Amino acid sequence: MPHQCTNCDRTFSDGSKEMLSGCPDCGGNKFQFKPAGADSVDTAAEPPDPPEPSGGSSVAQTVGKTAATVKDLMGSATAEESPTRSDGPDTTGPDRGDSRPSPEDTAQASARTDVVSVDELPAEPSDDGEHHFQPVQTDDPASARPTQTEPSESAPADRVSADAAEDDAEPTADQKPRADRPGLEELREELNDQFESIKVLEPGQYELNLMELYDREEYIVALQEDGRYSIQVPENFRD
Amino acid sequence: MGLLTDLKDSISRAASTLFSEENPKRIGIYGPPNAGKTTLANRIARDWTGDAVGPESHIPHETRRARRKEDIEIERNGATVNIDIVDTPGVTTKVDYEEFLDHDMEKDDAVRRSREATEGVAEAMHWLREDVDGVIYVLDSSTDPFTQVNTMLIGIIESQDLPVLILANKTDLEESSVQRIRNAFPQHETIPLSALEGDNMDEVYDKIAEYFG
Repeated sequence: MPHQCTNCDRTFSDGSKEMLSGCPDCGGNKFQFKPAGADSVDTAAEPPDPPEPSGGSSVAQTVGKTAATVKDLMGSATAEESPTRSDGPDTTGPDRGDSRPSPEDTAQASARTDVVSVDELPAEPSDDGEHHFQPVQTDDPASARPTQTEPSESAPADRVSADAAEDDAEPTADQKPRADRPGLEELREELNDQFESIKVLEPGQYELNLMELYDREEYIVALQEDGRYSIQVPENFRD
Repeated sequence: MGLLTDLKDSISRAASTLFSEENPKRIGIYGPPNAGKTTLANRIARDWTGDAVGPESHIPHETRRARRKEDIEIERNGATVNIDIVDTPGVTTKVDYEEFLDHDMEKDDAVRRSREATEGVAEAMHWLREDVDGVIYVLDSSTDPFTQVNTMLIGIIESQDLPVLILANKTDLEESSVQRIRNAFPQHETIPLSALEGDNMDEVYDKIAEYFG
């Protein structure tokens, strides 16, 4: 149940398209992302799924061929580590996520088969009540960056002014050392799957899909090593 | 498509000349990392305002946030042209911190630079979509221009019908080949220059006035 409506608490499975047009139950359009095992999450909301890029745009046609080439290149470079996911986990329905016995779903399991065995995973991932994933390298000073995971509250909707560059505010409070690195690999894969503009291969190594970045209305303002990201949502995107 | 784009460019240029009294055009300086975008932006800003735009470096991805210099007034042939220039982070499809380790950088710093550079590319692409009226595309004429980044970016710019001026920078280097850049993008005019040395800036300003005035 990676996604949860912040209004009525209805949960949605990863990759669910139900929420794209708002919560079917209450019509809410704010959702939070809940990684498996993070049941105590109750605070900030993660950005909702991005909209489908306008497929038939003239831009896409003009440079579509090049984009495809780049996509192919990117795909071949990372194919072995990207699990194929068509429609989210097939064993759990959108509403039954909470009843899963294991904190890990099948898609996640397949995502990390090359990495660790189930035995190596922490039995019951502890959670600090934050929806954030933990930084991979806890000794990295860069992880003490401002996070803005509430896109609906970011003030200027069209763009960040260039002057905001120096705006290095105080670090967030949830940057505590954690040892659950294997879990982060899965989460990164999962986010990579949902968010194809930027692939995080490992901390400090990124692959960018320029067409995706260009085609998106919202724009990424801050990245974390673990695949966490902040986006800025255009004005007409809300309500 | 080149012909059609040329035609559209000419029309939009003619139209913009007619309405040159309006707000300054916002011109994005785009290109791959280390092409000399900031050196050029600083050169333009210093020549006409006395200020610089941002720090230059031989290490790629020095510019990781777009920087704007507003209302630069360029005088050409008795007339003035007002533009805002936006110096953008170098656009690339791959950012790897290991590249920075060769430049005497600690791993932590390299990883952070890498992440910021990635955010910078996202910002540059966003500006291209929303906020620029014209593009100065800067290429390092001592390197191969046939890259996917260049092809894709110029393709996007063309599809937006944005006027684009291609600058073959770093003509002060021995390996420089302006012709190689002309061959790569024959549908656009290519102006050679050395932003570092200030060579051929007169022609650059002539063309800026002609394209974006």
